[in-house]
Amino acid sequence: VHFLFSFRAMASLSEEVLLVVKKVRQRKQDGTLYLMAERIAWGPEGKDRFTVSHLYADIRCQKISPDGKAKVQLQLVLHSGESTTFHFANESTALKDREAAKELLQQLLPKFKKKANKELEEKNRMLQEDPVLFQLYKDLVVSQVISAEEFWANRLGGVTNTDPAQYKYKQEVGISGAFLADIRPQTDGCNGLRYNLTADIIESIFRTYPAVKQKYNENVPHNLTEKEFWTRFFQSHYFHRDRINTGTQDIFSECAKQDEKGLKSMVVQGVKNPLVDLLSLEDKTLDEGYGVCGAQPSTSNSNRTVKESSNYAIIKRFNHHSAMVLAAGSRKGETSSTDGNSRDSDFFQPPVKKVKLQEEYEDLQQENRPKTVPLNLKKSDRYAHGPVPLQSQQYTTSQDIINSVNYIQHEMANYKPNLTQVLSSTVATSAISALSPGGVLMQAGAQQAINQMVPSEVQGELKHLYVAAGELLRHFWSCFPVNTPFLEEKVIKMKSNLERFQLTKLRPFQEKIQRQYLSTNLTGHLEEMLQTAYNKFHIWQTRRMMRKT
Amino acid sequence: MCADDEVSLLVIVVDVNPIWWGQQAQREPEFTLSKCLDAVMVVGNSHMAMARTNKLAVIASHCQDSHFLFPSKSWRGADNGGDDASSSGDGKYELLSVANNLIAEEIRNVMSKSEYKGNSTETLLAGSLAKALCSGQEMKSRILVIKAAEDCARQYMNFMNVIFAAQKQNILIDACVLDSDSGLLQQACDITGGLYLKIPQKVALGQYLLWVFLPDLEQRSQLVLPPPAHVDYRAACFCHRNLIEIGYVCSVCLSIFCNFSPICTTCETAFKIQLPQMVKPKKKKLKQPT
Repeated sequence: VHFLFSFRAMASLSEEVLLVVKKVRQRKQDGTLYLMAERIAWGPEGKDRFTVSHLYADIRCQKISPDGKAKVQLQLVLHSGESTTFHFANESTALKDREAAKELLQQLLPKFKKKANKELEEKNRMLQEDPVLFQLYKDLVVSQVISAEEFWANRLGGVTNTDPAQYKYKQEVGISGAFLADIRPQTDGCNGLRYNLTADIIESIFRTYPAVKQKYNENVPHNLTEKEFWTRFFQSHYFHRDRINTGTQDIFSECAKQDEKGLKSMVVQGVKNPLVDLLSLEDKTLDEGYGVCGAQPSTSNSNRTVKESSNYAIIKRFNHHSAMVLAAGSRKGETSSTDGNSRDSDFFQPPVKKVKLQEEYEDLQQENRPKTVPLNLKKSDRYAHGPVPLQSQQYTTSQDIINSVNYIQHEMANYKPNLTQVLSSTVATSAISALSPGGVLMQAGAQQAINQMVPSEVQGELKHLYVAAGELLRHFWSCFPVNTPFLEEKVIKMKSNLERFQLTKLRPFQEKIQRQYLSTNLTGHLEEMLQTAYNKFHIWQTRRMMRKT
Repeated sequence: MCADDEVSLLVIVVDVNPIWWGQQAQREPEFTLSKCLDAVMVVGNSHMAMARTNKLAVIASHCQDSHFLFPSKSWRGADNGGDDASSSGDGKYELLSVANNLIAEEIRNVMSKSEYKGNSTETLLAGSLAKALCSGQEMKSRILVIKAAEDCARQYMNFMNVIFAAQKQNILIDACVLDSDSGLLQQACDITGGLYLKIPQKVALGQYLLWVFLPDLEQRSQLVLPPPAHVDYRAACFCHRNLIEIGYVCSVCLSIFCNFSPICTTCETAFKIQLPQMVKPKKKKLKQPT
């Protein structure tokens, strides 16, 4: 009883104990090993607390000492690299104890492993895919400005907070319609053919033709080896194009009959699509090569020529194959009982499209749009007037205008180009000097753009600083208004993070550019932002003090 | 140099506003419309002489309409035989002399027909630009505007439409301004990637044209040319037409105002603005006993 009571003090009430192993030594101390629902723990003999406790999620793997060894040990290796070793010291039951512990761990570890790994995987993936994020991670977490938890706090919404349902409905890989063609038989030199079958192709065949899968299950491995089965498959007329003579000795002849039945049932079912009327379609025969020439094609086999029959067979087979591929693709989960031949073709349409097709199209309906308020522009000429301010134009009297017009008409009435007297050399020279560097028209160019004066690596570093500072400031400012104790803690922490960032990242950068004699103030704005944050913090802190007193 | 068979069209739009030029001739007799046209011909000839595939067009922008000075209707193309009586006797490349003669003839016609009708004293620049855009459809082209008279506020919408059309078609608009700065042309040059230059000396127009505006876009990247002008993109308020940096915009009709008013005067929408609440002094809430 005493033992149980003290045990309760050690473990939380909700944790279930799965296994207790006594006489387990750890670090040359005697003690007891406990395997619980979510962790493994060990406590020294006589003490009522655990000195070693590891969550299963933290454990990367377990190792056991080889069977021949005198010491029976079990080692736990954690994700962090640490390891803990337990020595099973009960003379009689050491091996049994260890095996029991090992087996239990083997069952438990995978359950917790997935969760931890998935998170790590997700984090790794995000860092790999987004170089900006990776740089931010390096700048902030690796240089210990903020902790990894804070960094990932808002970012892992996809993994930790996701509903597990998302992972269940992983998209299944469909079946290539050409999977049979992909087999590509090759001649092996002596009148034979080599068919290359991969696991994918076999799977495609099974998924598309459940009948073949059934035959496989019936015959392999008791009646036929796998190789024999597939050899027969490819030899059978079932596989070959001209399936006119269906041999009865074939194990696949049943499949062919089943296919026929399935095809007939599909045809009978028809297409339940309100917009498609398949029955109104028929073969329109025009001429040789455009269809069958001459009389109406009959459906009975006896009237066909050999060529027609083989064409008919090919087309029939092709349609059936396509239907089976589509059916297999949309079938969820492997159920050999589902006969792919009886398919509701309506099923192929995605539900949204179905609903849309069943309803009428909106623009074909009557116009009953909601009432809108018309735009009532009283002075629309205002838009036509551009940002040309109303200046008082030079007032020209109509007399002036008439004079000017007359003058110019007089001048141009006898206009003859005089291209040798266009400029004098003095005029030309003064124009050239105005256009030369330093000239009156070239002054504005002397002011170089800042991005031409600062080396690109400095620019790059500055960009990283901005991204990092922005991230920290975002965390900081999101704390306001501070109305929970959690936010209080966070804002204090963020302020110290900002200070740490300024000290470890910003100052060295400033010193560096100073050494390079760059006189431009590149970090003024950053400092301003940080100072604003500090001011806000100071105000908040003083208010808080005043409220408390 | 550019590809051999690539046709490159230069359209020169010359502002021939008779009122401005008439006044100019009286102000500064050493630089008249004749001189201006001479300079235009020089740069036009130079452009055609740079490459066999270069083409030229000249449009006169008047206050009544716009005219193509070159190519004109009477010109039947470069294959015109030597029976043209206007071929000059100085051994000039025939295309150049034909072009010059045609330009001279056309401008004489245009200016002689000038009648002062009504109040139109403004150059119809937007229309000329539109014509220039249409003529440069199938080939790589650019437009050079030689501006004399002031901007016309009434043409603003058309002008902006033309500028955006030019931008869409990748047609450069350059501007050489003789007198007062033109905000519209500054925008045009900025948006289409052209050069805007207000020249300090009108008599040196020919030199400026050859130095700055003759090279095409690829060649300009290798030259040191005047830096782009700073463009004032401020909007003008609808009430006073003042240029403002910060203003108020009606969310219904997008008209811009410099002062707040609860009713938009353009679309007569009334805005309901919430006045800031009076902040009551907070009473300390006693914690509820649990």
